[in-house]
Amino acid sequence: MAEISLRGLTKRFGTTVAVNDLTLTLASGELVALLGPSGCGKTTTLRMIAGFEEPTQGRVLLGDLDVTEAPPEKRNCGMVFQNYALFPHLTVHQNVAFGLQMRGVDRAELDRRVAEILDKVGLGELGRRYPRQLSGGQQQRTALARALVINPSVLLLDEPLANLDAKLREEMRFFIRSLQREFHITTLYVTHDQAEALVLADRVAVIMDGVLQQFDAPEIVYRRPQTVPVASFIGLTNLIPGRVAARSGERLVLETPVGPLHGCGPAGLNDGMDAMLSIRPENIEIAQRDLAAPVDGGNRLRGVVRERTFLGSLFDYRVDIGGGTVLRIQGGVNTVHRVADEVTVFFDAAAGWALPGGRG
Amino acid sequence: MQAAVGAVRARPGIRVSGQALLITPALGLLLGFFVLPYLNLLLISFFTKSPEAPYLRVLTLVNYERLASDPFTWGVVWRTLWLGAVTTAVSLVLAYPIAYHLARARRHLRGMLMVLVVSPLLVGVLIRTYGWIILLQDTGLINQLLQAWGLRKLALMYNQTGALIGLVHVFIPFMVLSLAAAIQGIDPELEMEARSLGAGTWRTFWRVTFPLSLHGVVAGTVLVFVLAVSSYVIPSLLGGFTVLTVPILVVRTITELFNWPGGSAFAILFFVITLALLWLYLRAVGRVTRPVT
Repeated sequence: MAEISLRGLTKRFGTTVAVNDLTLTLASGELVALLGPSGCGKTTTLRMIAGFEEPTQGRVLLGDLDVTEAPPEKRNCGMVFQNYALFPHLTVHQNVAFGLQMRGVDRAELDRRVAEILDKVGLGELGRRYPRQLSGGQQQRTALARALVINPSVLLLDEPLANLDAKLREEMRFFIRSLQREFHITTLYVTHDQAEALVLADRVAVIMDGVLQQFDAPEIVYRRPQTVPVASFIGLTNLIPGRVAARSGERLVLETPVGPLHGCGPAGLNDGMDAMLSIRPENIEIAQRDLAAPVDGGNRLRGVVRERTFLGSLFDYRVDIGGGTVLRIQGGVNTVHRVADEVTVFFDAAAGWALPGGRG
Repeated sequence: MQAAVGAVRARPGIRVSGQALLITPALGLLLGFFVLPYLNLLLISFFTKSPEAPYLRVLTLVNYERLASDPFTWGVVWRTLWLGAVTTAVSLVLAYPIAYHLARARRHLRGMLMVLVVSPLLVGVLIRTYGWIILLQDTGLINQLLQAWGLRKLALMYNQTGALIGLVHVFIPFMVLSLAAAIQGIDPELEMEARSLGAGTWRTFWRVTFPLSLHGVVAGTVLVFVLAVSSYVIPSLLGGFTVLTVPILVVRTITELFNWPGGSAFAILFFVITLALLWLYLRAVGRVTRPVT
């Protein structure tokens, strides 16, 4: 099965640039999430791969084939839309059979393959139903079956779970993942839901304002974001502006409004440069004032609890640490701090990640 | 709790009577100016014709017998239905692409296109028809051009062609609007999906777009057919006296031959035939579209 390769892909609508010089290569059998806020150009990208939008510049390659000029019907892309786009006038069986009919597959072979794929997605009994007689999850499975039965060279999913309720969404995530592994099909998965992207994807491509920000494994995107927008879009984070004061290896010290802070940073972030220190709320510990000394190289700050929210498995605190900085901290429910409590907060140098650039 | 349930139950009753009240004026208008005259017409069609008065109040079946046994009647009926069918078919073929673009156009463009589409209706029927005469007549603009290019003159008026052109022109908006409403209801992603599954544009149209717009096709064709077979001014002006349709003949029977019962009977007969045809048509289409609705 083929890989997807985008080379300098650009799409302009009038004066607005929807996708700007996007270069991205998906390895064979890989599931890549194209993640970004709505209107960032991810659906436009998907449509350029499928052939519904013509790129202003750049090439689209599927496998070794340059399909930039090919019409959609010649690209052999399996496509699943957010609202599934099931043909309402056709039964489930007819929907799934559509692509095979277009390929001139004979009747016996067609029936066999449709039955096989419907079994695989767990819809074996529902072939004669019409889409409107199906639940959301069943419609989703029908759409997947219809896209996969044609043995597409790539699978393109456009927010496939956005219309499902939370519980079903979780279930379908794993279903899509296992189906994708079984078919070993190169898949591009467009989503604005960062949790979905992190859970599902082999690699995550974060795209903002039409520009690719970062393309890495989910853990790296989460722990070592390359830009401030990526850090704030993926998960929750605290950002403290500062200036690099010292650096040795990956470790560095940042001069900030709340004093010097120890953290880590990417190569190229040198003395005197403006930076933002990103600290995830779950990596900060909170304790009673003056309870314990920090480990060597860690950070220890004094603060006052301003707000506390109960999230079930943990508490969400907002702690004022002076210098106009309020930290968001998420911690266990064992020790409870109340609003207006004076507390000490700790975080390890490894938990702080410095990003190039100042405020804004 | 019970009180609340009671209140909820009471509400639909109030709503229904309120709605009934709202449609009363329209219903009254329809009854007074449509149903009653039609019943009157039905009654007259069973009266006896008379040289002295519009009719004699003596019930008879002679009017219908005479109509049914006259091959001329059936010739006119056939020609009228044929003209209506061709008008409908031509309108459908011409209107579909317009309707498609209208439905898929951007919002601000859609309003402008809509005005263009309904523009034939903004001009009175007589003025519009005379406009066509200027274009179509033997010495008209089109034939002058043809002659200037050294081509043969075409008989575009005072025949079926003339009537057809006039009818299609004025009834196409009804077709376009019916179709556009239906096409607008089709998610463009359905067409994209069909394309990505390997259907070219043509097969996408026939397998997805057209079947899903069928209710618009039915609405448009019924509307245009009914309007075309019952139109009077256009066929009589553009068709001259060679195109004899049922409405023209009915009017002539009554105003020139002073045969009120005969004209009424013909009108009623044609009404029944049209109704029967529509019923058959809707039943046939209904069988095709049943899974959708």
